Amino acid sequence: MKISRCLSSIGRFVALALFLVFALLPLVWIVITSLKDPKEIFTFPLVYIPGKISFVSYQKLFRFNNFGLYFRNSLIVTVLGSLGSLLMAVFSGYALSRYKKHALKSKVLLVLYFSQMIPSFLLMTPLYIMIAKLGGLDKLWVLAIVYIATTLSFNTIMSKSFFDRIPVSIEEAAMVDGCTTSQSLFRIVIPMMAPGLAAIFSFSFVNIWNELFLAVMFLSDPAKTTIPVALNSFISKAGISWDILSAGLVVSLLPTMIVFAFGQKYIVVGLTEGGVKG
Amino acid sequence: MKKPQDILIKYLLPTLIVLTLLVYLPVCRSFVMAFQNYNLYNLKDKGWNNFANFRAVFTDQTYPFGQVLLNTVLWVFISLAFQFTLGFILALLLRKPFKGRGLYTSLVFYPWALSGFAIGLVWSWIFNGQFGLANDILMKLGVIKAPIGFLSDPHYALMSVIIANIWYGIPFFGIMILAALQSIPNELYESAKIDGANWFTQLFRITIPYIKPTLVSTTLLRVMWIMNFPDIIYGMTNGGPANATNILATEMLNKIMKEYNYGQASAIGLIIMMILFVYAFFYLKFTSRKEVEI
Repeated sequence: MKISRCLSSIGRFVALALFLVFALLPLVWIVITSLKDPKEIFTFPLVYIPGKISFVSYQKLFRFNNFGLYFRNSLIVTVLGSLGSLLMAVFSGYALSRYKKHALKSKVLLVLYFSQMIPSFLLMTPLYIMIAKLGGLDKLWVLAIVYIATTLSFNTIMSKSFFDRIPVSIEEAAMVDGCTTSQSLFRIVIPMMAPGLAAIFSFSFVNIWNELFLAVMFLSDPAKTTIPVALNSFISKAGISWDILSAGLVVSLLPTMIVFAFGQKYIVVGLTEGGVKG
Repeated sequence: MKKPQDILIKYLLPTLIVLTLLVYLPVCRSFVMAFQNYNLYNLKDKGWNNFANFRAVFTDQTYPFGQVLLNTVLWVFISLAFQFTLGFILALLLRKPFKGRGLYTSLVFYPWALSGFAIGLVWSWIFNGQFGLANDILMKLGVIKAPIGFLSDPHYALMSVIIANIWYGIPFFGIMILAALQSIPNELYESAKIDGANWFTQLFRITIPYIKPTLVSTTLLRVMWIMNFPDIIYGMTNGGPANATNILATEMLNKIMKEYNYGQASAIGLIIMMILFVYAFFYLKFTSRKEVEI
């Protein structure tokens, strides 16, 4: 009995170790590549541990490829879009959670769930035509608004389920004391929602930061390029220069990893609460 | 006490307006475009062409429909099977607490937060035919003698993009199933142990039945999601070589971004949605009937 328990815990340890190696391998490898001297990148058999750590690729990336500007643009679009989407989702989620007429409420929820099923590239061309006509191409704030639209239904569903967990009686007590709806929302309910807000923000941040195809369609001005668009332009040129690209990939992956590291607890709750989209 | 419900409608309105203008209107427009002659190279002639776009997609020479459909099915179901199984195993391993579990889950679940396109590029570097990590490891292990062009050889390309997708999707199932596992009351396992049930009996009699709703909904949603997920393939092969990794979603992207043929692209989008609709219908019917039989 003891031996079998011992064996099973060793087996568990080995399995967990294998999962960890598999999960980390691609990331570790791209980080190593980005820190190699370009001469050591293009050798076979491979050099696993670089002779000395070299930042040449990062220098090329930021000096000659303007990656700092792209990073800034990505950050602007992502923060604007996430905050906008969060703000709207707080209001709409609250309304859906507290609204009492069931017929309307269930219809709105159906609209939200259905829009989750729509692949975002089905929206690409009609949105492109519409926004080109309105003169909104190459504007970061316009792209942020588009991202608000693509993240809003999921965020509303998530926000509603977080509000559902906060008892209505607390607000009713506040209203007896003379608070208006908006006062009780901002002074009492929203402070209790902090984990929910963190989850919604993290979700939007990850989705918007990572989005490529809409950005490629809407941004063609080099001064307005975001990181995914820049990476895309690295590969569409003849032959991929893996030294610069590996550094660019590391820089592009960092922000969402940081958000995930800090927001993981809330993201897990959000995923299982909203539970609709990966 | 009567609640001021009218103000709640005002709170809801901005969201409904944004979704109508920027999601539902474009989708309707897309449906209409599927039946129009919509090509950026020739915008003068935007007339109705009935089912010509669909006919063109079904008989396309550059993107043979049969092959693309087969690739889509393989891409979706092989990815799903491995993502689900490995995610399930990982969640089972993580159910009981151990020292450092918090850090471990962060490290093993982080791929969830990464960009599919960037992940595609990272894996295309690993599967690189000249300087790839995969070749080097396999040669050192003695599995292969000479480097393989994983992404340039049609025999290996689809397998390679699927491996990248499996890697990317394990955390989703891991996170969702782990959360469901933690909702199972421990007493169930304790009384099963008293009855002498072994690990497998516990798995099939307690664990799986208890979390079945999660298993059904995650697999259902994941199929839709993987089918609409061209990002990894776009980063690795963009459908090539010789259509070996083209799925419906990448074909649609190429119709938009390379050929500017919006009409045919919308037709493919409609085909994808119809396939998913039929799938969801039968999947839900099948899984709920099975529940009745038990």
